[in-house]
Amino acid sequence: MAKDHRAGSKVRGEKLPAILMASHLLEGDTVFKTDAGWTRDPSAAKIAHDAETAAAMEAEGKAAAAANLVIDPYLVPVDLTDGGLPVAKHFRDVMRQKGPSIHPDMGKQAEFPPLR
Amino acid sequence: MYRYDEFDERFVRERVAQFRGQVERRLDGSLSEDEFKPLRLKNGLYLQLHAYMLRIAVPYGTLNSAQLRMLAHIAETYDKGYGHFTTRQNLQFNWPKLKDVPTILELLADVEMHCIQTSGNCIRNVTSDQFAGVARDEVEDPRPTAELIRQWSSLHPEFVWLPRKFKIAVTGAEHDRAAIMVHDIGLKLKRNDQGAVGYEVIVGGGLGRTPMIGKVVREFLPKDELLAYLEAVMRVYNSEGRRDNKFKARVKILVHETGEEEFRARVEEEYAKLDGPTINAPEEEVERIAAYFAAPTYEALPDVSQVLDQARAIDPELDRFVEQNSFEHKQPGYIALTIALKEIGAVPGDMSADQMRAFADIAEKYSFDEFRVTHSQNLVLPHVKKDDLPAVHAALKAAGLASANAGLITDIIACPGLDYCALATAKSIPIAQAIAKTFADQERQKAIGELPIKISGCINACGHHHVGAIGILGLEKGGRENYQITVGGDATEHAALGERLGPGIDAEDVPAAIEAIVETYLAEKQGSESFIETVRRTGPEPFKTGFTAFIESRAVESEAAE
Ligand code: HEM
Ligand code: SF4
Repeated sequence: MAKDHRAGSKVRGEKLPAILMASHLLEGDTVFKTDAGWTRDPSAAKIAHDAETAAAMEAEGKAAAAANLVIDPYLVPVDLTDGGLPVAKHFRDVMRQKGPSIHPDMGKQAEFPPLR
Repeated sequence: MYRYDEFDERFVRERVAQFRGQVERRLDGSLSEDEFKPLRLKNGLYLQLHAYMLRIAVPYGTLNSAQLRMLAHIAETYDKGYGHFTTRQNLQFNWPKLKDVPTILELLADVEMHCIQTSGNCIRNVTSDQFAGVARDEVEDPRPTAELIRQWSSLHPEFVWLPRKFKIAVTGAEHDRAAIMVHDIGLKLKRNDQGAVGYEVIVGGGLGRTPMIGKVVREFLPKDELLAYLEAVMRVYNSEGRRDNKFKARVKILVHETGEEEFRARVEEEYAKLDGPTINAPEEEVERIAAYFAAPTYEALPDVSQVLDQARAIDPELDRFVEQNSFEHKQPGYIALTIALKEIGAVPGDMSADQMRAFADIAEKYSFDEFRVTHSQNLVLPHVKKDDLPAVHAALKAAGLASANAGLITDIIACPGLDYCALATAKSIPIAQAIAKTFADQERQKAIGELPIKISGCINACGHHHVGAIGILGLEKGGRENYQITVGGDATEHAALGERLGPGIDAEDVPAAIEAIVETYLAEKQGSESFIETVRRTGPEPFKTGFTAFIESRAVESEAAE
């Protein structure tokens, strides 16, 4: 079957800190792992600062995919803003945190405050 | 226009019901994503970066106003108020929710539409010339052939799991507007020396990561032998095409690896084994289909319209629009009109629900309730009375659809790219927008003349960059978006693949690089040569020189800035 997806982050080098990102099964929308479950708000994503936390989040992501809650969960390396919020290192992941660059009125950028 | 018979109707309804069941099982957890994915792809449903995407088939690019009104309704109710026309003459919605998709399919079936054959390793939606049935250089209308292939391929049990997707395009005209040389199979209706109608059959063209121009496998195939011959080609491909490597699975690779001669021999051998009469469509069926595409009842009109000439004389905007966007109709007093979905700064191929409704009204009132989608992501009103053109122009203008740039440098093809597509390596649409803004001046566009720019956001080449007179390919290099530029690509009967001018450049530099390429053209141009004619004569060398000079000047500028 044709691949319709390039899952996984394309960042080379430093993989931490990181957040966990996936697509919501019902909505298809991008969601982020939190302590409690999943959020659509990019600034509420849980940040893994160490490898153990990242591995635990990844395992929770896999479990959520197996439970048919989300699709294609993967760890996304981030930089932290002055306000401590996670901004993806790779431009592809940033696009998913924000929404289409050509439609500022659509996607996360239209609903949530910017990551500052 | 083709209308469903009971058989088509039942087939489409059954597929909707089947998919509704599959979605329910996915939602209640009895299907995993791995199990569900091939099923959703069979129904045109992809998962992109921000949401699902639904691809709707527009067989050979023909639609009516009721269908467009339904698309507007779906866009507003289940999406974000717009749709996107693609280079395969289809329409995509970018934000549907999984739970709504069965209902959307139901609504589409109400207007004889579906998403079948828009994805997966099957024979995909057949594409054709947007001026089918209209063009003066046409041997025969290609749409009955396209419809025949649609019916044959939709239900063919042998060809539902091919090694890879399979795309067929048909033209009936001398001038190729359907890009038949870069499809898996390209068909051209022609007459032989005895005056009989048949097909030239081209196999093994394609774009993607290994672009190739198709090879003529049969110079002349009698018209009534079409399906049996296609079946022979498909059988050879189905049994010998590579299934071990997705990147080598298209028929172009098989033709290339087997060799043109040998491939032709194998097809003929297979063809000799087939029982033609049991496969070819019976004549009544061919006639039944053709009857749906009979010309509308035109009025007998003089070819020159006083009304139009007078209106053009006093309205320069109308005059320019007609000059640029109209296409000669075979019926005197009529014209085919291209509606470029390419307002400066707009997203190529996007149309809002309001525009869809306004355009549906225009097509209903002024073009026998019919319009076409072109592979350049534009629309066509195929039969407009010249007398009506002033009114049509006014209505289009009110809907923001009167962009007078069809075929010009700002009429750019761009795939969705990184703004939506999960496979993208770089953005594509913003590059098109930046180039269009750079060349926004109407006089400048007119002076440059016909210049198709085509942009893809990764090597899959959905934006046809290999066959753009100027092609732009967005890649990732060192964690940044990087763009490679080619010149000399051509999707017509002079089919050619573009040649790279030099190293890739940053997004910000693309508009200025295009300006440098245009400067080279204007300096090299002889007489009334178009851009592509100049490149064909000079070869890419002068363009490479100009491009290298541009890159060096950029390097000097950035050093000075540091
Ligand atoms: C989720 C969105 C899309 C996906 C996953 C996708 C996937 C692909 C892939 C994998 C190829 C390469 C096929 C090969 O070389 O074997 C391809 C080619 C192509 N696609 Fe897409 N595509 C998408 C959107 C589009 C859009 C929006 C258009 C129309 C604007 C389009 C039209 C084409 C065309 C014309 C080609 C090249 C012709 C050929 O098949 O050789 N695709 N696509
Ligand atoms: S060319 Fe690449 S980026 Fe563009 S639509 Fe096709 S797969 Fe996506």
